Amino acid sequence: MKRPLPKLRPTAWDGLVVLCVAALAVALAAFQWQGGSSQGLTAVVSIDGAEADRFALQDLLKSPRTYTASGYTLEVAAALRGDASPLDHVKSNGELGLQVAHSDCPTQDCVRIGAITRSGQSIVCLPARFILRLEGGTPDPDSVDAVLG
Amino acid sequence: MKRLTAYVLLLALLLTGCGGSVDPDEAQESIQVIAMDTAMLITTYGERSPAAAYACEDTIRDLEAKLSRTDPDSEVSRLNAAGGAVLEVGEDLGVLLDAAAYYQFTTGGAFNIAIAPLASAWGFTEDHFRVPSQEEISGLLKLVNGFSLQQTPEGVALGPGQSIDLGAIAKGYAADKIVQVLQEYEVPRANINLGGNVLAYGTRPGGAPWRVGIQDPKRTDEPNAFAGVLELEDSFAVTSGGYQRYFEENGKRYHHILDPATGYPADSGLASVTVVADCGEGSGLSGMMCDALSTALFIMGEETALDFRRNWSGLPFELVLITEDGRVVATGGLADRFTLDESSGYTYEEAAS
Repeated sequence: MKRPLPKLRPTAWDGLVVLCVAALAVALAAFQWQGGSSQGLTAVVSIDGAEADRFALQDLLKSPRTYTASGYTLEVAAALRGDASPLDHVKSNGELGLQVAHSDCPTQDCVRIGAITRSGQSIVCLPARFILRLEGGTPDPDSVDAVLG
Repeated sequence: MKRLTAYVLLLALLLTGCGGSVDPDEAQESIQVIAMDTAMLITTYGERSPAAAYACEDTIRDLEAKLSRTDPDSEVSRLNAAGGAVLEVGEDLGVLLDAAAYYQFTTGGAFNIAIAPLASAWGFTEDHFRVPSQEEISGLLKLVNGFSLQQTPEGVALGPGQSIDLGAIAKGYAADKIVQVLQEYEVPRANINLGGNVLAYGTRPGGAPWRVGIQDPKRTDEPNAFAGVLELEDSFAVTSGGYQRYFEENGKRYHHILDPATGYPADSGLASVTVVADCGEGSGLSGMMCDALSTALFIMGEETALDFRRNWSGLPFELVLITEDGRVVATGGLADRFTLDESSGYTYEEAAS
């Protein structure tokens, strides 16, 4: 004959465990739904087709970063849109971005282009086989996905 | 209390479990490639997006190895160096040579892959820019305009002294081959930018068309300065413009799109030409067509380009022409897909059909 199971009565410890599990679940869900810890723009540097660096845009406020690629040296620095280069004829609107501040490449296209500030924009230095690209951030439905020309 | 505990644990499972799953349509891979003398961005979606993106890169690298004029081991370099001897060529180069002959014929010679010796004389191939003498240009023009490809069962041969450059058609062909890769990997959507050759495959996530900006030729120093924006799905779009590559000497600008009729940079009154075509089922090698025609129509100029489109109705494409006098002229098929950037200062015209 089977013995009847003892009647289980919840205790205060049970309640505490339930609360801990619920709090952990909400925290994990919030982390995943917000895309982890990165809420802002991320800069991705590729040299000769391979990813060479990846950092949050804000990290450059502390100091510029220097890269050597195909024998050329490029310095990437934080910049405000419009203030990046003498040839960047755009009025500054306070948007924080990235620029190639200095390069010893022969074309100087990477310096002349000025600051990039939005996800999907990139600066290319063909002689150095160097690409700096911004990713992440809040998607803008009006932004362009690709540029012709 | 037990029921409450069960509900809370279920909630926990849902919150953490669902957040970790991946929507196969949203899964995305984005890789950057420098090849064919330009920077490329490959973005693919779907469950097999990483494998698809890297397969696209492999396709590009494979074509570059065969078609580069600056790689001495490429098929093109070996053909150029063969001194008129017959050389067996692979399928890709064979397709490109046939297509090049077709577009040379249809455009009345505005498209001409034998422009290679002239491009070298101006330094556009080797990045050593110079203005050649008229005598030098006249001599090279004989090679360019006397171009004929000898095709035999054993292979192909160029005429003595002639050489070819596929830079005005190879990226378009790469885009055509990438469509096959995307289909093979069952990619639902992709955004491929081969240095100004754009393949807008499928739609954006959510179903809206891809938004593709056309660079404002007057504001090339700004990364977000557009003459207008095209809304595209399952389409190729290619732009050729004199602002893309140039040098200045004695205060005069010389760009890289050389007119085979004169040997000098084309001076047609156009600042850029954008060619758009479908990439869906049955559209054939539309990427190659867009690439070849963007160059040829830039050389032809506005009126001749629009006449060409009317006369060659078997080539289904649309156009956005930006003129040096400040107009944007679009053909009728783009009327509801093109939006002028009002801040650009251009006036918009729809071309007569």
